Amino acid sequence: MAFLEKSNWVVLVVGVPTLLVYLFVVVPQVLGQPIAEVSWVEPMIVTIVVFVVANVLGNVVAAASNPGEADKNDERDREIDRFGERVGNWLIIAGSIAGLILAMARADQFWIANAIFLGGMAASIVSSVAKIAAYRGSFQRW
Amino acid sequence: MVKPTRVTNSIRALRFAAGEMTQADLADRVGVTRQTIIAIEQGKYSPTLEMAFRIARVFRVPLDDVFEYPHEEDGQEGQG
Repeated sequence: MAFLEKSNWVVLVVGVPTLLVYLFVVVPQVLGQPIAEVSWVEPMIVTIVVFVVANVLGNVVAAASNPGEADKNDERDREIDRFGERVGNWLIIAGSIAGLILAMARADQFWIANAIFLGGMAASIVSSVAKIAAYRGSFQRW
Repeated sequence: MVKPTRVTNSIRALRFAAGEMTQADLADRVGVTRQTIIAIEQGKYSPTLEMAFRIARVFRVPLDDVFEYPHEEDGQEGQG
């Protein structure tokens, strides 16, 4: 398995559980109390920090498992990376536009922050899924 | 992006004809990862023209001996 494919598996394995834990903490509060009283800032910061740190550690472990391949990538890796990033960018744009619209509508900052946050997390996860699918399936440039 | 390619290749046969060259050896000589050579051999990735020439050069054969595109009978040759 190419190092960059492993790296995308790390994003997936780390990203999905951390996002689910965040939702598990925040969604019940949203359903059970006024938005202004929902405690979301700390869980969001913790989720982002855990996501970043776990990704770094995961990549270090992946690199250590096969040091010879850790710094190797070629045009196929770069094309797959660009393809995945393009897929993910749509979700970042969607999250940002949703945040803008919510801000214009003077929605609570909870909704604005979460629209941007969920767009970013979803972009990371979907982008990794697209890259892994490209690595494991057929990826044609012609 | 993921439609199957009609380009076929003879890399596996050429490797065996070249003293059973391994995929790793070919990858090193072309300057790509072994996974990319595997993907090309299996028709899961179409290399750039430059990479295709580099592969052909390793085997000292013309590009046509490595990659083939089927003759068209439905008038679509050269499209797509």
